[in-house]
Amino acid sequence: MAQRVVKPRTNLGPGFWPVTAFIIVVSAIMSYFTLTSPWPIGLIPAGEPAPATDALFRFLGAVGATIFNIVTIYTIYFGIVFAKPKNALPNAIGVQIHDAPVLEFWWTAIPTILIVVLAIYSTKIWLDIQNTQGDVLTVEAISYQYGYQFRYPRLAQPVSGEMHLPLNTPTTIHVTSRDVIHGFWIPEMRIKADMVPGLINTLRVTPTVPGRYPIICTEFCGVGHGSMKTTLVVQSQQDFSKWFAQQGGSQSSAGGGGGIPLSTGTVDAGKVLFGQKCSACHSTGPFSQKIVGPGLGQIFSDPAHPKLVNGSDPTTQNVANIVKNGFQGDIGTMPSAQMNAISNKDIANLVVYLASLSKK
Amino acid sequence: MATLAPGVKTGPYHAVLDHIHPEPTSFIRKYIFSIDHKVIGYQYMITGGLFFLIAGLLAELIRTQLLSPNGAIVSAATYNQIYSMHGSAMVWMVIIPLVTGGFGNFVMPLQIGARDVAFPWLNLAAFWMFPVAGVILFSSFLWGAPDAGWTEYPPVSLQGPPGTSMWCVAIFLIGISSTLTGINFIVTIYKMRAPGMTLTRMPLFVWGQFGTAGLSFIATTALAGALLALFLERTFGVPFYDPKHGGSPVLWQHMFWFYSHPAVYIMILPVFGIISEVLPTFSRKPVFGYKMIAFSTVAIALLGFSVWAHHMFTSGMVPWLQLPFMIITMVIAVPTGIKIFSWMATLWGGSIHWTTPMLFATGFLITFTCGGLTGFFLAAVPLDYHEHGTYFVVAHLHYVLYGGSVMGLFAGIYYWWPKMTGRMYNEVLGYWHFWLTFIAFNGTFMPMHWLGLLGMPRRVALYDPQFQFWNVFATISSYVLAGSVLIFLYNFATSFRSGKIAGPNPWGARTLEWMISSPPPYYNYKKIPAVLATPYDFGNPLPYIGLEAAAGAEEATPTAASHPVPTL
Amino acid sequence: MSVSIAKQGYSLGHGHDEDAHEQVIYQETRDMRLLGFVLFLCSDVVLFSAFIFAYIYLRTTVAPSWPPIVGGHQLPRLDTAFAAVNSIVLFGSGVTMHYALENFKHANLRRYNVFMGFTILLGAMFLGGQGYEYAHAQIGGWSGNIFGASFFTLTGMHGFHVFAGVIYLLVLWYQTQRGVYTQERYFGLTAGTLYWHFVDVIWVGLFFLFYLW
Repeated sequence: MAQRVVKPRTNLGPGFWPVTAFIIVVSAIMSYFTLTSPWPIGLIPAGEPAPATDALFRFLGAVGATIFNIVTIYTIYFGIVFAKPKNALPNAIGVQIHDAPVLEFWWTAIPTILIVVLAIYSTKIWLDIQNTQGDVLTVEAISYQYGYQFRYPRLAQPVSGEMHLPLNTPTTIHVTSRDVIHGFWIPEMRIKADMVPGLINTLRVTPTVPGRYPIICTEFCGVGHGSMKTTLVVQSQQDFSKWFAQQGGSQSSAGGGGGIPLSTGTVDAGKVLFGQKCSACHSTGPFSQKIVGPGLGQIFSDPAHPKLVNGSDPTTQNVANIVKNGFQGDIGTMPSAQMNAISNKDIANLVVYLASLSKK
Repeated sequence: MATLAPGVKTGPYHAVLDHIHPEPTSFIRKYIFSIDHKVIGYQYMITGGLFFLIAGLLAELIRTQLLSPNGAIVSAATYNQIYSMHGSAMVWMVIIPLVTGGFGNFVMPLQIGARDVAFPWLNLAAFWMFPVAGVILFSSFLWGAPDAGWTEYPPVSLQGPPGTSMWCVAIFLIGISSTLTGINFIVTIYKMRAPGMTLTRMPLFVWGQFGTAGLSFIATTALAGALLALFLERTFGVPFYDPKHGGSPVLWQHMFWFYSHPAVYIMILPVFGIISEVLPTFSRKPVFGYKMIAFSTVAIALLGFSVWAHHMFTSGMVPWLQLPFMIITMVIAVPTGIKIFSWMATLWGGSIHWTTPMLFATGFLITFTCGGLTGFFLAAVPLDYHEHGTYFVVAHLHYVLYGGSVMGLFAGIYYWWPKMTGRMYNEVLGYWHFWLTFIAFNGTFMPMHWLGLLGMPRRVALYDPQFQFWNVFATISSYVLAGSVLIFLYNFATSFRSGKIAGPNPWGARTLEWMISSPPPYYNYKKIPAVLATPYDFGNPLPYIGLEAAAGAEEATPTAASHPVPTL
Repeated sequence: MSVSIAKQGYSLGHGHDEDAHEQVIYQETRDMRLLGFVLFLCSDVVLFSAFIFAYIYLRTTVAPSWPPIVGGHQLPRLDTAFAAVNSIVLFGSGVTMHYALENFKHANLRRYNVFMGFTILLGAMFLGGQGYEYAHAQIGGWSGNIFGASFFTLTGMHGFHVFAGVIYLLVLWYQTQRGVYTQERYFGLTAGTLYWHFVDVIWVGLFFLFYLW
């Protein structure tokens, strides 16, 4: 039987070293362009934490391109160079080699080291993202089939349509959903969170480049999923203030109860409404029995909490005002009556029901 | 009985292997309700192949819809059903049944020198669940097919059409089939290997089936639980996932992905096994690093159980938990890389015969590596925050599933075609199939990487006009890809009439299935041969004792004329 | 199954060592079936584990309190005392099953019948107890809340397995009367015993999770 005689140490194949040099050169060029690219993902980084993400993408891109070149080019090279020649004997065989421990050690060790480096670097970038500042402005994004609403502090009404954010302002965005899971993706900021009903997920971003950027739904949510997007408008702080003022006055603390017929409320109707509208976030137990918001069972008679959450006295009128206007708190945002589709009559029923609980 | 040389490790001897059952005579027992693993293998391949064509047609509908940013041909509601069924069918009705029930059934018992699997009647029962499940799944179109993707996340899947409940039933049923087949294969491989075939002398295809069977029987029932809960919630309002009744949508994601991540390894490990058979045969040299490839198979199977939450990085899972899932996912690249490098080293120094299976196996190395690398981009959590739910994921998954599993399946089909049919396929048509596949596949799915990065989400019937050029490019490429499948079908059909008679071993391969006639007799080996070494040492004589008796040869002494050294 | 191996003859043409050979073959197939059966039980454990995970996840990370508050009131806990008695019934049936198998192995068929009968009876009594528990539980029903959802689904799956087990044991008992099993070949009884112990072990877990925790 004919056997091709190849001494592995000295002859790795005709042209092996030039091909290796080619791989190194091509990988170096690709890595260079990846590492120096201002927009490796193809979109401008329009705010924190996008630059951190892009840095990781560049590094991984360079490493990935190199590995891809090694595999692809060597495979094609081996395939061509070691193809059985036309004039070979019909029972020609290849080099009968089973393993090469030193080579195998290195091709295990080097990827392992590479992975350790990448894992450490990815963890560092991850920590950077977790530590993104968000302490100046807090906005809530609430999704539904098929759109977004945004609640800003001191704005009584939610904003439908575009989301506006001021430049260079560390912003926290709490996201949730009214119905099914939606997605909240701002590609130019490289941030994404699922908007899960019953949960509040949190993103932090500091926009640094003014402009208009898409906000895109990335979790299938029904027939309207493909067209579920809106726009983030990043504008200077003066322009943002002007826009903000146009959205409506601040939350009124007095006189907002006009039209709520408190004396006509019934406990039974209120109990049903509570179950439908409030029980997802509030229990009827004591204050400490929180679901999302505090327990409301002792709202009118809790010595430990002599004031309501907005600092007013626990009267039926003040409680009615909170239900009507919603409330922006530390934990999250309680939707206003309008968002919850609660009428003034409904509010009266709810308040009377809560009063009945406090009497027990 | 064979006597082995003194000092040669024999491994366990199984007297049960000696027995030959009488061959069935009726048409029904021979071809419809057969307990012959080979017939069951053909049945899986035909059924899976048919479902592949249907699911592929659904894919072409997807691509046609995406020719236009406003949706060219169907409503969003219909489109959602189409891609959900495409994904569900491809995973559960095509790839998993083909790699386990199809190739596992046909090849594995032959390769270990057995007459059949451990539980042939169970094999029969498991097979028939497959077409039933497929009919249930596809008929869901009549009542409104499932429309929330193959992942069917609640709460939106709780709102889905009635077909979603049929989907639960169909996948539950195919899951039972998959679990039973996994159990069957583990017992077969563990207990029924030929004398002398220790675990370290098993062909690597069998190692792949072993790892896959382990994944199947453990992970699948977790999915069964998730499906049962979804079905109960949809049908009887039993709350598990709906937050309005105290449930958790994220719970579904945990339960679903605990199975579905191992599922992707179920879809690839058998294909790794196919590659490990094809490359050495057509390089005429041993597979490089046999022990490390076997070890890596087991490592990937075990690690595969612990990475499921990398599909959930944006779901609101506890943040610090993202890190261990990220790191273990990255670690899986090590055994996978070992395999890729070992396969490349198998090519090195070979005397390579460029047959169609060899082309597909080599193309696999390139496309699967690309898919594996983009997987790394998704494993890195900060990058996943950008890439999750976009076409980047669609690109990645098709690189590993089409560029990986399907290309590997084609390598296997062409490789074992002569063994199964007794005929050769047309090599020129095979070349056309491969090159059109390779080019069109990359044309279809490569652009999806940057479509995703630039802002195109997945599961959308419409998209931003700026993405249209690459969508059209991908669609046209996909039509060429579909055409390449037609070439394959034509090759397959005509080989029955005009293909060259293959003989037992047209490739000069060395695993046991090539030592008997093509197609094999119903009893496989008249006398079970004994095994002395791994099959891949092309420089050495065949490491078997008793081949002539195995093949049922009548002549007492083999001669050079009756047993020439195999050539291609 | 074991019927065909025991009754079907086949000729190997080896004459005097045919019996020994047949014994080796029986042992091999019995070992294979045992392995297959154990693997099947493992996959069944995973099925229960999935729902147990769901229960633990819902109870610890989703529900604000346990038992959950429904309609303004907290649901009551389950009746641990009753379930403890019912558990003793079930574990008792595991003990009697063990002795049934032991007695069969030692050819004490009368004792086998007594113990097997008790096993089936105790199993049925457990099911009756579960029925009583279901009728009297005050936790808001199967579809009312996640307590009912997880409790009734998990114990219902377990009860279904017990029910299937009772049928299986009845079949095994019948087969024993017909002489299907011998003192050398009784794999069906081994499998039945293993299955019955599996059902017991699952119940240990469920009892702890729902009644003690």
